[in-house]
Amino acid sequence: MSATMALVFGIMAVLPLFVGGTAHMMHILIMCLIWAVVASCWDLIMGFAGIFSFGQVAFFVIGAYASAIFSIQLGIHPLAAMVLAGLVTAAAGVLVGLPCMRLKGAYIALVTFAVHMILEPFLKSGMGRALGTGGTRGILTIPPMELFGITFAADNKIAVFYAALALAVICSAIIMLVIRSSWGTAFLALKDSQDFAASLGVSAFKYKLAVFALTSFLTGLVGGFYAHYIGMLSTRLLGIDLFVMLMIMLVLGGIGQFPGAILGAIMTVIGNEMLAPLGAYRPLVLGALVVVLVLLLPDGIMGLLRSLVPHKVAEQVRQG
Amino acid sequence: MLKVSHLTKKFGELVAVNDLSFHVAKGQIYGIAGPNGAGKSTIYNLITGNYPFEGEILFDGESIAGMPPHKIAQMGISRTFQVPETFSSLTVEQSVAVGAHFGDTDLFDPQRVDEIITFLELEADRDRMAGELNLLGNKKVMIGAALGTRPKMLLLDEPMAGSNANEIRALMALIRRINVEMGVTIIIIEHFMKVLTELTDKLLIIESGTRIAEGDPDKVTSDPEVIECYLGQAYAEDN
Repeated sequence: MSATMALVFGIMAVLPLFVGGTAHMMHILIMCLIWAVVASCWDLIMGFAGIFSFGQVAFFVIGAYASAIFSIQLGIHPLAAMVLAGLVTAAAGVLVGLPCMRLKGAYIALVTFAVHMILEPFLKSGMGRALGTGGTRGILTIPPMELFGITFAADNKIAVFYAALALAVICSAIIMLVIRSSWGTAFLALKDSQDFAASLGVSAFKYKLAVFALTSFLTGLVGGFYAHYIGMLSTRLLGIDLFVMLMIMLVLGGIGQFPGAILGAIMTVIGNEMLAPLGAYRPLVLGALVVVLVLLLPDGIMGLLRSLVPHKVAEQVRQG
Repeated sequence: MLKVSHLTKKFGELVAVNDLSFHVAKGQIYGIAGPNGAGKSTIYNLITGNYPFEGEILFDGESIAGMPPHKIAQMGISRTFQVPETFSSLTVEQSVAVGAHFGDTDLFDPQRVDEIITFLELEADRDRMAGELNLLGNKKVMIGAALGTRPKMLLLDEPMAGSNANEIRALMALIRRINVEMGVTIIIIEHFMKVLTELTDKLLIIESGTRIAEGDPDKVTSDPEVIECYLGQAYAEDN
């Protein structure tokens, strides 16, 4: 697991040497890293903890808006605003998670997707405007992060890239440590059989709420990073496109096959860009490719890699 | 050790358990039998905190009313399920470790997992995924995970279901060893009367959630009311 992660992030780290001069390519790499974290968080809650949460994009948007509002309205440094946004999103995650404690499967998907659906009208409403969301116009002048004399803005993509890489490495390491810890075992046990796990002393309430809080925090944190990088926000993020793209990342990488979500995010973002010349046919081709991949690789790319590597080596890779 | 007093559970109009009282002493193997739908598994679900109930359940003198299942497990009551539950994403070793890690309030001791795997003769399967084992293997892993919690009391729900004669003998020997060598008090729900008469110290027969008879297994199984409502005349003639 850690070997695959190290290899992927190691390759990513040297890519600016080859494409650093192309702003568009650097933007794609930055977005690969941002979505890698969001997809990995989704994998942790859905693939490992077995909670069908469809609120990941909503949490990303909450984090992005919260960080933008903290920095614009309260003048908080973007880095502190990002952390605060992560905490606000974690609180939102816990609030969403609480009613989900009494629900299972598709009902959790419905509740969490309802949060996604409610968020757009809320951000556009009078209450949202009062909070500083900018209503239908959105937020247009989000200050970039400045640290050690470096401005991490859209016109300094190499700096942003390495900040995104550091953030992705930290978030992925946290996710990996959680999966390997007793928390990860509890998540898997609850996913496989909640009644059996509870009869062995695993608190479903504690661990399910914890995974909501953790994945929301990390997603909100990265949402904040995105806001300060792009410099503007609108509710377009809540459109179905991003939601579907994230789902493709997860399925392509392999659900419950971390760090497959990282590979899935990179391949989906780059694949989507490569299909750009197809214009209106792009979603159609992308959709068809996903159907074929799901049928051929039910455990995603990571599942395929694990099946190709001899068992003992795979175990060593898994153990790091 | 376990004192159940006037236990009642209703699901709407259905009375699943009706004013039931019984007492299980420390070190006993206590049997519960009765026709399908008599409320046997419901009793386990009430003892392990899955449903609220009327009446009182005291474990080591402490009421367990309102406690969630994981707290009851940590108090020392563990259980198995009629249809074997396994963690298909975890290995045999990891499954046992779930009980040892979360159910045992002492600091996690990996050596305990090794001891349980050895006790259950699962050494060869310790790195296999729990879902890959056969029925007997699944039952052993389920029991192993339950033992991982270091239980004072183990509730076994029809452990012999679906087993052949050899497996039944192996499971009976295992249950005895858990009781004697580990000092675990056991309640066993079972339909095989021979298993209950050979294993248990005391037997409770229920029907429609109500007690029909309780006491020495041999006496209970020759009780005319038990023969009439559960065992049948053929059983009485054969025995």
